[in-house]
Amino acid sequence: MTSANSQLRAEGLSMRFGGVRVFEDISFTVDLGGITACIGPNGAGKSTLVNVVCGVYIPVGGQTFLNGEMITGTSTVEIVRRGICRTFQDVRIFPTLTAIENVLAGIPRQRGEGVLSAFTNFGPSERSNRNAAMSLLDDLALSGVASRPAGELPFGQQKLIALARAAATGARFVLLDEPAAGVELSLLPNIAKLVRRLTRTEGRGVLLIEHNVDFVRELADQVFVLQGGGVLASGSVQQVLNDERVIKEYLGRVYDA
Amino acid sequence: MIQTLIIGLGLAGYYALVAVGFALIFATLRIFHVAHGTVFITAGYVFWYMHRIHGISLAISATAAIAAAAALGLAIDRFLYLPIMRRGGGMFSVFIASLGIVLVFDAIYLVLTSGVIAVARTTSMELWTVGGAAIRKFDLGIMGLVALTYFLLYLWLHRTRTGLEVRGLTDNEQLAAAVGMNVDQTRNAIFLVASAMAGLAGVLTAYDGGITSDSGNRTLFIAVVAVILGGVRNILLGSITGSLALGIITAYAGFFYPEWVTFCIFAIMIILILFRPKGLFG
Amino acid sequence: MDHLFYIATLMSVWIIFSLGANLVIGYTGLMAMGQAAYLGVGAYTAAVLNIFFHVPFPIAALAAMAVSALVAVATLLPLQRLEGFYFALGTLGLNFLFFDLFHNLAPRVEGSEGLYGLELPAFATGARNLFLSVLAVTIVSALACWRLDASPYGRALRATRDRPDALRSIGKEPRMFQISVWAVGGALAGLAGALYGATLFYIDPTLFTLNTSIAILVFIGVGGLASLAGSVLGPVLLIGFTEGLRYVGLPSTLTGPLQSGLYGLLLIVLMLFRRQGLVGKHDFRE
Ligand SMILES: Nc1ncnc2c1ncn2[C@@H]1O[C@H](COP(=O)(O)OP(=O)(O)OP(=O)(O)O)[C@@H](O)[C@H]1O
Ligand SMILES: [Mg+2]
Repeated sequence: MTSANSQLRAEGLSMRFGGVRVFEDISFTVDLGGITACIGPNGAGKSTLVNVVCGVYIPVGGQTFLNGEMITGTSTVEIVRRGICRTFQDVRIFPTLTAIENVLAGIPRQRGEGVLSAFTNFGPSERSNRNAAMSLLDDLALSGVASRPAGELPFGQQKLIALARAAATGARFVLLDEPAAGVELSLLPNIAKLVRRLTRTEGRGVLLIEHNVDFVRELADQVFVLQGGGVLASGSVQQVLNDERVIKEYLGRVYDA
Repeated sequence: MIQTLIIGLGLAGYYALVAVGFALIFATLRIFHVAHGTVFITAGYVFWYMHRIHGISLAISATAAIAAAAALGLAIDRFLYLPIMRRGGGMFSVFIASLGIVLVFDAIYLVLTSGVIAVARTTSMELWTVGGAAIRKFDLGIMGLVALTYFLLYLWLHRTRTGLEVRGLTDNEQLAAAVGMNVDQTRNAIFLVASAMAGLAGVLTAYDGGITSDSGNRTLFIAVVAVILGGVRNILLGSITGSLALGIITAYAGFFYPEWVTFCIFAIMIILILFRPKGLFG
Repeated sequence: MDHLFYIATLMSVWIIFSLGANLVIGYTGLMAMGQAAYLGVGAYTAAVLNIFFHVPFPIAALAAMAVSALVAVATLLPLQRLEGFYFALGTLGLNFLFFDLFHNLAPRVEGSEGLYGLELPAFATGARNLFLSVLAVTIVSALACWRLDASPYGRALRATRDRPDALRSIGKEPRMFQISVWAVGGALAGLAGALYGATLFYIDPTLFTLNTSIAILVFIGVGGLASLAGSVLGPVLLIGFTEGLRYVGLPSTLTGPLQSGLYGLLLIVLMLFRRQGLVGKHDFRE
């Protein structure tokens, strides 16, 4: 059992844009070392949920707790510093930075990242950071393109770079907004490998937002289905993906499509 | 006092004519068209050259000057902004090129006019004395003309098909981006209308106080601040309120502390944006 | 010969100014259009300290750097609330604001519009010595910028330019980088301003106007954004060219307009055909 002290927990989150309700009363947890998946049709509010948790939007109701401490109302930057990092569905890499520089940028508290500290001896720390970044890129089979400007790489690879960059922040919880969408099938195992490394090896928690049900089945421990502004079902992967309503309401449509 | 107020309202009229066109272009196409000041001053010089230097009648000179302004505005868009955007240039690249136009024309006008103040007027201004205050009929005329222009603009934006399309652009960034890449009638109409209004302001300014090669930049700067003050959500309301505020402020500041006019304008802008970063109506 | 030294000194001063502006505009993507204001603050600080308080010039120049950096940050803080073009316009307004300040408040030497009478140390007296001293300062400045460029700080600046929102999403506040780089740009402008005064022997408010801010934009735009070589190349080529114009005997009433007209034309041609400049890494930010 994980205690509330090593958990990301959302309680009763509600969000509205102007008068338009996106979702109401959403609760979920992500455990350290575990993967919670969130599935749901287009426009269900999955990305909005990530934005709310990360402090981009303030929810109209509910709170998020990190290790028992409330973080709702805190700025994005502060939330990342406390240990929650996210990726974007529409990949937002730094296009003029090389692949490895993108990952390096994610590393927190670097020596030489201030005007004055740039004139100190940052060489050794930069080298070890570079090795760490390279190992992340290696896991994603990207070491070959490490020194290419990220903006010139295909979309799928950019997505993986964003993943590695988020991992590089060292955040204990990583929220991935559709990491597999738009990525060639051949790269999916790399994503799975990195997500496993984050959770199984490094003991971090991952919230995985995904449309690809097979991918979810393969990776996740728990799943919740966001639909019609609420949670349609939640629980273990087995339970939820075999739930009649889920199959009828959501999976059925996915398979049709 | 009242005299200064009237002068301020007159100034507001010039600013508003320039500001509304600038706001129109910025709100619809996201182009920060600083060369709008060049369009303004070009009309002034054409008018001065025809009317004052060659004695061509006021009506013909003014019409030709406004037409020249409209043509120049359109040409800048067609032969500069559009090609840059087609080659993948962003809005800042367009802005830098616009700045280039300003520099080139400023230099040309400075050399051609040797820096003299070009006053197109051939007769002196008539004054009206009301309760001890001497009011220039011209200032009242400007106010009337601006009110008429705004009324026509309102009709254009709200009662015509093109106007409807223009307003559609202001509410829709994506659509604006798409139109940004295309030559179409709406885009041409925006530049023609905006430039013609700047042309009218240029004609009036040249007729009134006269222009020098840097009047365009100064007027544009004030007009842009007016647009910032008023915001671009509502082109007409925003530009007229911003211009009124600045016209009155510059008139009074110019009366009491002529040395500090730009300082005042800038200070006001800073103070306002600290409280309302998107303008009064943003 | 002295005249050649003078031109080379002028180029060096503008290289220092360009280095700072390029960090701000090229690397970090901030549309700074009022850098001349900080140049002026530096020039006036150094000149006032040196002429009226007899502070040795090198110390006055260091003070000018500090004051310019402070003024730069103080003016940036309110402007940071503005975005995109509004930010560009706000910085552009600095030119007018500081012109009025210099014009109305700055001390003058009786009977002139500005200040003259700097006392330079012996090692910087004379055209050749002044050039060598300024060149040394320029080399140090360039090395410092090179170090910044190559450091994690430089990387963070470029990330700030590329996608501030993404930088925020990995826990780093783009504003902090913008403020610090603005201070560096201000300091280099202040240093350049101090040396500019030493080169010209005379300063007045008309040196620090919008035209100067645009000139710096042209220099780094032609040389190349986010490139150290660009910061050097732009001033060398353009000052070489305009000084050349004077040399071939063009009347001085024409050199002014010709120079600014040329700058305008260069901007247009650049934006149409080569947005990244001669050796730049990318174009002006979206
Ligand atoms: N900033 C916003 N302002 C207004 N409405 C918004 C905003 N962001 C999202 N929405 C709306 O909220 C709803 C949920 O959007 P969201 O992007 O969270 O869905 P999603 O589940 O991530 O969908 P997808 O699978 O397509 O990524 C949508 O109807 C969207 O239009
Ligand atoms: Mg989404």
